[in-house]
Amino acid sequence: MKQVIVHPERCVGCMQCMLACATAHSRSGTLLAACQERPRPNPRIHVGAGRFNEGFPNRCRHCDPAPCQMACLAGAIYRRESTATVLVNPDRCINCASCAMACPYGVIRFHEDPLGPAGWAIAIKCDNCGARVAKGLIPACVETCKTGALTYEEMDDAMARKTRAVARSLSAPDRPAMPAGVVLLTSIKQAEMQLGER
Amino acid sequence: MFDPRDNVSVTQDANRLLAKARQDGIETVWQRHEAQQPQCGFCDMGLSCRICVMGPCRVDPFGQGPQSGVCGADADIIVARNLCRMIAAGAASHSDHGRDLVEVLAGVADGSAVGYQIRDEAKLKRLAKEYGVATADKTALAIAADLADAMMEDYGMRRKAIRLVERAPKKRRAVWEKVGLIPRGIDRETSEMMHRTHMGVDNNWQSLLLQGLRNALSDGWGGSMIATEVSDILFGVPTPRPTAVNAGVLKADQVNIVVHGHNPVVSEMVSAACQSPELLDLARAKGAVGINLVGVCCTGNELLMRRGIAMAGNHLMTELILSTGAVEMMIVDYQCIMPSVGKVACGYHTKMVSTSDKAKFPHMEHVEFHPHNAREKAMTVVRAAVENFANRKGQPFIPVEPQAAVGGFSVETIIGALGGTPAPLIDAIKAGKIRGAVGIVGCNNPKIKHDYGHVTLTRRLIENDILVVDTGCVSVATAKAGFKVPEAAAMAGPGLKEICGALGIPPVLHMGSCVDNVRILVLVSALADALGVDICDLPVAGSAPEWYSEKAVTIGVYFVASGVTTHLGPMPPIAGSMNVVNLLTEGLKDVVGASFAVEPDPEKAAVFLRNTIEGKRKALGLDWRAVV
Repeated sequence: MKQVIVHPERCVGCMQCMLACATAHSRSGTLLAACQERPRPNPRIHVGAGRFNEGFPNRCRHCDPAPCQMACLAGAIYRRESTATVLVNPDRCINCASCAMACPYGVIRFHEDPLGPAGWAIAIKCDNCGARVAKGLIPACVETCKTGALTYEEMDDAMARKTRAVARSLSAPDRPAMPAGVVLLTSIKQAEMQLGER
Repeated sequence: MFDPRDNVSVTQDANRLLAKARQDGIETVWQRHEAQQPQCGFCDMGLSCRICVMGPCRVDPFGQGPQSGVCGADADIIVARNLCRMIAAGAASHSDHGRDLVEVLAGVADGSAVGYQIRDEAKLKRLAKEYGVATADKTALAIAADLADAMMEDYGMRRKAIRLVERAPKKRRAVWEKVGLIPRGIDRETSEMMHRTHMGVDNNWQSLLLQGLRNALSDGWGGSMIATEVSDILFGVPTPRPTAVNAGVLKADQVNIVVHGHNPVVSEMVSAACQSPELLDLARAKGAVGINLVGVCCTGNELLMRRGIAMAGNHLMTELILSTGAVEMMIVDYQCIMPSVGKVACGYHTKMVSTSDKAKFPHMEHVEFHPHNAREKAMTVVRAAVENFANRKGQPFIPVEPQAAVGGFSVETIIGALGGTPAPLIDAIKAGKIRGAVGIVGCNNPKIKHDYGHVTLTRRLIENDILVVDTGCVSVATAKAGFKVPEAAAMAGPGLKEICGALGIPPVLHMGSCVDNVRILVLVSALADALGVDICDLPVAGSAPEWYSEKAVTIGVYFVASGVTTHLGPMPPIAGSMNVVNLLTEGLKDVVGASFAVEPDPEKAAVFLRNTIEGKRKALGLDWRAVV
């Protein structure tokens, strides 16, 4: 089964995944129209800044067992085994925030959602783009990511690729693991940040 | 992680005022910078392209995603086009500032620019001679009319070369001639740069960058140089005079007016209005002991250079100054005025006034200044400022005592102080008492701890007998650090200390605003001519430790294209193309004899700049030493 895999070292912090996610979870399905919708669709993936202001795409891990599911007194959170996805039943959610308190990654938000019940806030989280996948599309965040920080693939394939990359970097150390420009920019940003700590 | 609640600055007034601003619920540049993190990596590397609407496009720096835009432009082309458009914008800004001064000069000649005058006739005549304008049996106004006309030609397309390129050493002009870098017209090079970067025009990244160099030269030896020279004609050639700097220059018992922006056309008239007996009487009637005019940013530098008017701060101080609650009015013209300042002022009694027909801002009253009405408008706004004194809420917070400084070192003054010739300076360099000189220029940037780059680099250079000249926002930082009084020679190395002591000058010379970087070009040309060498042979270098703006890119490029190796603190958005990086940091040495280096850490930058200078000394056959 394919799943979304995050490769944080590839994230350049452009936040396009956030726009794509919000659009995918809008009624209109296009960015320009989605911005005008009320309630406004919000992203379910969040790009944070690391110690050196590098990007980090923070997304639901769909844990198993899931702390949010265990904390949900109303029984609104459940797991769909066929897609290994932790989901919220909007009709059962009582907006108590217990799940958000239990979530170690801070990826559950509360707001009125264009696709949820009208007039009140519920817990909103990544649904692995179930609706898109059912139509034969891949998750929106992966589709928009041009650097390969988010991929949609079999976990075994991803692991094998990573193993191969590590093995190659060890056998041919002259071949840089990171492109020179990326290393250059990262080192400059780190130096700038460290000056602030002097 | 950088925490904006900690000390953001090496200066006491900034840190104290930031704490005050936070207490007052004022949002500042540091909070907004934090909110922008992480900043987009495509844009940071120059790999995003918004030039046409087949796009927008981006290139994956990791090599697996798209490697070219929809049009087919690869990373090299996209990065080069983006950088070149920054150069064009910077050149356009400074040169448009120059154009406004030429218009005032023409207005003085035809009598329409009421209140402006020719303050330095000798300089007018020197410029007229350079432009081939006849001066015999002509009045100053007639000369001014013809000179303004000749300068307008520099902006157009009738010339094969802009006039002031003639000021460059012969060897430098030969380099430019060979590579095709002689700028033909000021606006022409900017227009051509925009044309070449349109989709489907110049798609060779090297030739794009060469046009970028020519475009920058059209500013450095054209628009900016005209701006400085005409300002000197209209407002006087700067001479050294004592002044004061930092937020302590605001006075609790006076009407405080802050000018912000770049063009002396507005600030000079405001300065005159602040001295009018009528308004001073009004100020006293309102309970103030006087009218205190101070500057921030470069229009402040223009006034400091010519009138000794105090400077309250540089770029990152412009919001904080308002949080003193002591400012009755801030008057802005254009460039580097954060659109946030009007909103900051909403938290206090401060009135905000915009003055330029090309620069309007939120939460500001717009009082448009033109050459024909500037005197009258200046009186109007200063009167409003005086009347606003009564609206002050409570005791203002003035966090520090002012620091003394000396500014006003034009090339004319420096050569004059040396006895009319650069020979004594050259002798000191030859003898090794002064190892060389570095021009430190540019802005502030919230990516670098405020003023840390400027102050640290300057300290390291003067300790090691390198004379520092500075302009723009750097000059405020170094003045606040106490480097700009003759006694600061004590902080210099033994050789530089001796020379400064003999001449009675500080080890760091304030050469003006950011258009006044051209004074540095004129100075190095004079040194090169005196030695019979090219600029790139001199033991000099440039640095912009905290730059942020497009204008700074253009300045850096015209420095390098003029033969001055230049250090940058923050990285320009070029890391997406190692070809462009390598050309700018290495390849340009073979083309123009100078190149760029990027190093955020001023301690390491000091070592780089010292080695650059020692290397030039070695090549000149002077004594030299390796620095580690």
